[in-house]
Amino acid sequence: MPPITQVPTSMSLETMTCTRCDEGFEPQEKIVNSNGQLWHIQCFVCAQCFRTFQDGIFYEFEGRKYCEKDFRVLFAPYCSKCGEIVIGRVIKAMQASWHPECFRCQLCAKELADSGFIRNNNRALCHGCNANIKASEIGKYSCQKCHGIIDGAPLRFRGEVYHGYHFNCTSCGVELDSTAREIKSRTGFAANDMNELYCLKCHDRMGVPICGACRRPIEERVVTALGKHWHVEHFVCAKCEKPFLGHRHYEKRGLAYCETHYHQLFGNLCFVCNQVVSGDVFTALNKAWCVHHFSCDMCNTNLDLKSKFYEYDEKPVCKKCYERMPSELRKRLRVAHENTMRKN
Amino acid sequence: MSQVQCLPVAGKNMSKVKKYLEDARDNETRELELIDKNISSLDELPNIFSLPFVTRITLSHNKISVLPPAIANLNNLEILNLSNNHLEELPLSLSSMPKLRILNCSINRLSTLPRGFGAFPVLEVLDLSYNNLNERELPGNFFKLETLRALYLGDNDFEYLPPEIKFMRNLQILGLRDNDLLELPREIGELGRLRELHIQNNRLTVIPPEIANLDLYSNKSVFKMEENPWVQPISEQYLLGISHVLEYIKTEAYRILYNRHVTGGKSAVPIPPRADKSKKASRARS
Ligand SMILES: [Zn+2]
Ligand SMILES: [Zn+2]
Ligand SMILES: [Zn+2]
Ligand SMILES: [Zn+2]
Ligand SMILES: [Zn+2]
Ligand SMILES: [Zn+2]
Ligand SMILES: [Zn+2]
Ligand SMILES: [Zn+2]
Repeated sequence: MPPITQVPTSMSLETMTCTRCDEGFEPQEKIVNSNGQLWHIQCFVCAQCFRTFQDGIFYEFEGRKYCEKDFRVLFAPYCSKCGEIVIGRVIKAMQASWHPECFRCQLCAKELADSGFIRNNNRALCHGCNANIKASEIGKYSCQKCHGIIDGAPLRFRGEVYHGYHFNCTSCGVELDSTAREIKSRTGFAANDMNELYCLKCHDRMGVPICGACRRPIEERVVTALGKHWHVEHFVCAKCEKPFLGHRHYEKRGLAYCETHYHQLFGNLCFVCNQVVSGDVFTALNKAWCVHHFSCDMCNTNLDLKSKFYEYDEKPVCKKCYERMPSELRKRLRVAHENTMRKN
Repeated sequence: MSQVQCLPVAGKNMSKVKKYLEDARDNETRELELIDKNISSLDELPNIFSLPFVTRITLSHNKISVLPPAIANLNNLEILNLSNNHLEELPLSLSSMPKLRILNCSINRLSTLPRGFGAFPVLEVLDLSYNNLNERELPGNFFKLETLRALYLGDNDFEYLPPEIKFMRNLQILGLRDNDLLELPREIGELGRLRELHIQNNRLTVIPPEIANLDLYSNKSVFKMEENPWVQPISEQYLLGISHVLEYIKTEAYRILYNRHVTGGKSAVPIPPRADKSKKASRARS
């Protein structure tokens, strides 16, 4: 706004004074008029450097006028992001100034000017990112919708986590919880924004096989065993929890076991033939045997519950064979045996 | 005729055995038993190696000192029991037998094993107890016996068990009683299927804490550890029971004690002498 340099004819010189120095004006003197306020030419200067304004351009702040250079130095904000001066709307935050489009969440780059921000570890974050960080610090998720902490299991939907109660079953409308199932409503679509949510009941009615271990739908290879369906990697030994991955499993009382643990728990692999004992199991010396395989380790003489046998390395040896052993060995075996008897 | 003359008693016995083998061939007998027959050499019984049907041979309580390599002709043999004989060595051909599952050479005079002995394709049970073996005499591929579920090395001369024991992944039974063992490798703890460990009567003072990883305390498990010069905390727990030992070796206190023991504290403890084995039958020389 360039000042006008002419004395208005309607006013008398005697009543006019300079806004700055309060003195009157000489006749024919050039006067600066800005918005009805008058100045001597030499008084219409920058409040900081007392120089006249170049091209008449000045900036006003709290009633004082400044040249562009001093105004910038004193008041005009530079954007902390791009380094350019901010004219128009200035975002003052984090002890700095920003263009509105330059002030963004440091994690997800969302604009923060209108949504507000949260200071987290000297970073400006959007509410969502801040909630995520706070939740993960205590080992939990934060809801993508309300940013609240999710206690218990989250509902997973389209790649995000939510409180179940923000959603209803697509089919029956019931309010959902974390057990809800996400279904690709248009199979073949890579993007998940077509996915829909169903409650367990409606989902089961839709006929997708459900894993007996994790209760989630099986979209790839299905293992059917023990009257249930399983994810390949979820069909595991009930003892060691290693997946069978196609290896033989043994069933007992509705549970499946690997060979080792079936044997360990139920002891039904014969020590001699290493086969699962069919028929009567003979249990002795912490091992299992087929009835016809429980025999002297040295001569194969069949032994039974009534037979007297000696233990040699936790294997049975008949009396006859024991007596054929070196006497030196028998003596040591006898001492060892007596010692264990004494201890027990 | 001269052969018959020098074996008057055994000769009569031998003819019986030969008759038995002839009948076995005629009847396609699958299980041969020649127990306590005073047999000193199988070379006198060549028929025995031409019985293709045979799946089990029991030759316990004889005086056999040499096992002819022709034994490997018996392609269907699954169980070979040579317990209580005078064997001083075994033929390399043995380890190529395609179906041999159980080999019992306990109570013999073996002080070495043939090179390549670990090549058995399906061996499950190997009993070498009561011989004169030690870790320096084991062939390089011995621990490649991955199919083994029971290994009996009791009553031998081992001072150390090689850490390669971990490659015997299917081992359920490991017998090491009555050796001269001074320490056990930590790798024993990697034998996830082990449920019988016999280490009684050795010179052990500590056991690797990793042993606590094993399932050695269930109604299907055996852990024999008596008669060793254990450090005091172990022998105290042992008096309370095996389960107490297995719990104790899980503790941080024990871990520290064990580490100190294996990294040099040893020199402070006098090494107990080896057991006197001069009276062992395996030491006899033919
Ligand atoms: Zn100025
Ligand atoms: Zn900017
Ligand atoms: Zn954000
Ligand atoms: Zn929410
Ligand atoms: Zn599953
Ligand atoms: Zn298992
Ligand atoms: Zn059996
Ligand atoms: Zn017997």
